[in-house]
Amino acid sequence: MTFYHFVNCVALVYVPYHFTYKLSGLSEYGAFWKCFQAAQHYVFTQLVKMIVVATFFPESELEVKGDGNDAFSEWLKASVDLADLAGLYLVLAKIPGKGHNKILTAAVGWGGAEMILSHVYSLWFGARGAEFDWKYIQGCLDSNISLVQHISTAALVWLWSRHDLKKTLMPIVYFLLLAAIFKPVLFNTLLVSMGYGPWLRLALKAVTTGALGLVTLYIYSGLAKAIGVY
Amino acid sequence: MNHTSTKKVGWKLENFKKKTKKKFRRAVPDRDNWKMWFDEVESIAELFRGYLPYYLVIALPIFIIISPANPVAASHEFPVYRMQQFDLHGVQYGCRSAPINMEAKALSTWSSSRHCVISKIQDLSMERFKEISEKAGALVVVLPSDLTALSIEDRQNILELEDLMMEREVSIPVYFTHWNPSIDDVLTDLSTTIPTTPQPARGSALETLMHSVSANGYQIVVNTHQSHTRTDVSVANIQGKLGGHGMEDKLPTVAIVAHYDSFGVAPDLAFGADSNGSGVAVLIELARIFSQLYSSQRTHAKFNLMFLLSGAGKLNYQGTKKWLEDHIDSIDGSPLQNAHFVICLDALSSGKDIYVHYSKPPKEGTATSNFFQELTQAAKELNPEVKVELMHKKINLADKRMFWEHERLSMKRMAGFTVSALKSHQDYSRATILDNTIDTESIAQKASILSEALARYIYNLSAEDVFTENLKVDETAIEGVMDFLVAQPRAAQVLATKQNSLVTSLQSVLSRYLKDVKVSHLVPDKRDPDFSFYDVTKATVNVYSVKPAVFDLFLTFAIVAYLGLSYLCIQNFSLFYGLVARVSVPAKSKVQ
Repeated sequence: MTFYHFVNCVALVYVPYHFTYKLSGLSEYGAFWKCFQAAQHYVFTQLVKMIVVATFFPESELEVKGDGNDAFSEWLKASVDLADLAGLYLVLAKIPGKGHNKILTAAVGWGGAEMILSHVYSLWFGARGAEFDWKYIQGCLDSNISLVQHISTAALVWLWSRHDLKKTLMPIVYFLLLAAIFKPVLFNTLLVSMGYGPWLRLALKAVTTGALGLVTLYIYSGLAKAIGVY
Repeated sequence: MNHTSTKKVGWKLENFKKKTKKKFRRAVPDRDNWKMWFDEVESIAELFRGYLPYYLVIALPIFIIISPANPVAASHEFPVYRMQQFDLHGVQYGCRSAPINMEAKALSTWSSSRHCVISKIQDLSMERFKEISEKAGALVVVLPSDLTALSIEDRQNILELEDLMMEREVSIPVYFTHWNPSIDDVLTDLSTTIPTTPQPARGSALETLMHSVSANGYQIVVNTHQSHTRTDVSVANIQGKLGGHGMEDKLPTVAIVAHYDSFGVAPDLAFGADSNGSGVAVLIELARIFSQLYSSQRTHAKFNLMFLLSGAGKLNYQGTKKWLEDHIDSIDGSPLQNAHFVICLDALSSGKDIYVHYSKPPKEGTATSNFFQELTQAAKELNPEVKVELMHKKINLADKRMFWEHERLSMKRMAGFTVSALKSHQDYSRATILDNTIDTESIAQKASILSEALARYIYNLSAEDVFTENLKVDETAIEGVMDFLVAQPRAAQVLATKQNSLVTSLQSVLSRYLKDVKVSHLVPDKRDPDFSFYDVTKATVNVYSVKPAVFDLFLTFAIVAYLGLSYLCIQNFSLFYGLVARVSVPAKSKVQ
């Protein structure tokens, strides 16, 4: 609905990332370049994922929507998102640093790339038109929730890569990682079929992401305390 | 000694500095708060300076400028048909402009010339239309989905409205569209909006704010250019003949004429089933019957029969005018010049009675009066319930409008009359978009009466049935012709192109039955045209749902509040972290 609306949406999407970057003290470490590298990894991972999906699920475009079949193939496609985790792992490996800096750099870079490439693109072509739709604002809020989600995922990957994590906690970490991967598919199939409106879905997504983040934070802080890192 | 003292002093100084720094950190006065904010802004600016490439400052405005105005398709998009626009004898009729880009309002809520009114045609009364055409910005009329299933009252209202619309020129763009569910949503949304202007600021500001958030405005955009006069106008007349037995030049002639175009308030919606699809169907049927008769020696009459399908009939019979000029004024010895009479056909399906309209009463014993007698007789015998009534209407020379096709002929002193099922020349149903019901039975009835009367006249037979079964009127043939004619809009401007498919089809149909089928074209004079057509008869409307401008501001405030909140959260995250850390259990596994 005109350029002003577009600016509104971009502000809504971008500023939390900016705040996270600034206020977590990353700027003091000159981590911008590292964030950019994380973004590059994101792009690369997405490309690999697209090629895999295109190779192994080529008929998905032409398939007629059959119910059970469709859900199964959706789940399979979501499993390709495991490559995301691999990508994050590589990113974390490449970034020197300790504790929260590493995780935040990776998450902000990754999330920032996703934000620019998916959301700002769709905003540019959507929010600037004369037509108004609530979905742009919803998309921006969704992107904010993904920021929290990315931080959690990065933290989980880091935890998973640590050898000195308590064995009893590993299954929880695995579970949380899987939950993070399959959460979008779960939401799409479950909530849409239940007929919840977009705002309700957004709220539920925020709540679950918050819960996920909280548990991750709990585990992370335990380990960090033990290691002596902040 | 000196060293230790300076060291001591140095240390003391440092300590003192640390202490004061701490003090400042704990209780920062307001002045310094502002300073901190400035520092913050400066650091952000530095960030931009450091990392934001300068070329973006130039690139971004360029992006804004070159970006397309409406990059996204509208939520509602459907075809609309513009109201008629034409000039006739220098007088301008119809809607004079085409593009629309304004806010949509319902019939009850519009207020200014920046509003485009959307309304159902049933709600549009004549006074309201007059008001809208003078004060509003544009009008979009929604037609009911089934035009044939209207109540009599509704139908009458629409007919009167159409007549009013075409009476004079309308300066605002007027479009018609068919009802569909999405436009129904738009209409409901618009009619439930509280009218903004007349209401004083009732309720709190918060209420208006909330209202503006939930309200749904619509912007109507019809993206066309302004309508221009068409320069490629070419009206076609299709003629054919059945030569009589013997020397054609010496034989008398009877001509049958029907105009094939139709008229309505929107040219793309003028299907004209009755007026004049029925006339064309009867003409084709007569051609078929008589060509069969003329093909055999025994029944080849000593009469020439000429058939003409004339174009632009609804615009004062321009096609007939040209045809007469060609045949009467220029060519000598045209068979038309010794025509006994010319039968014009116009609107033969609406009622069961036959009205024969003429402008000059025929004297006793002339060909015309004889034919009238045959017609009355034939009707009495074939269908006794059908009345044949003769209607006399004098031509008013002061009035430029011609109401029946025979009036053109009477101006050239030819004997002509119009056979119609309509009683009055001012009947609204002659020029309406509601004219799309096909009544094959009624048409067939009239066709059989006419063919009987004509046959009796040219074969000079007394009262007995001329036709055997094979030569009776074929109802399925009539149905086929009518279906074909009503399938497309036949307004004169739609058909007035050089190679029109309808004209070609009519030509091939006539060629099946008649000889010497010719298509002659009428091109209006360049400098002083009798009539002109305009383009843009059909367009696509985009309806965008928009929010009022206040909403944008409201959204900005909401976003700023949200961002402020997130800033606080992130800023104080360390506190939260500390809380969790205190609760969490050390997760480090014991070193092996």
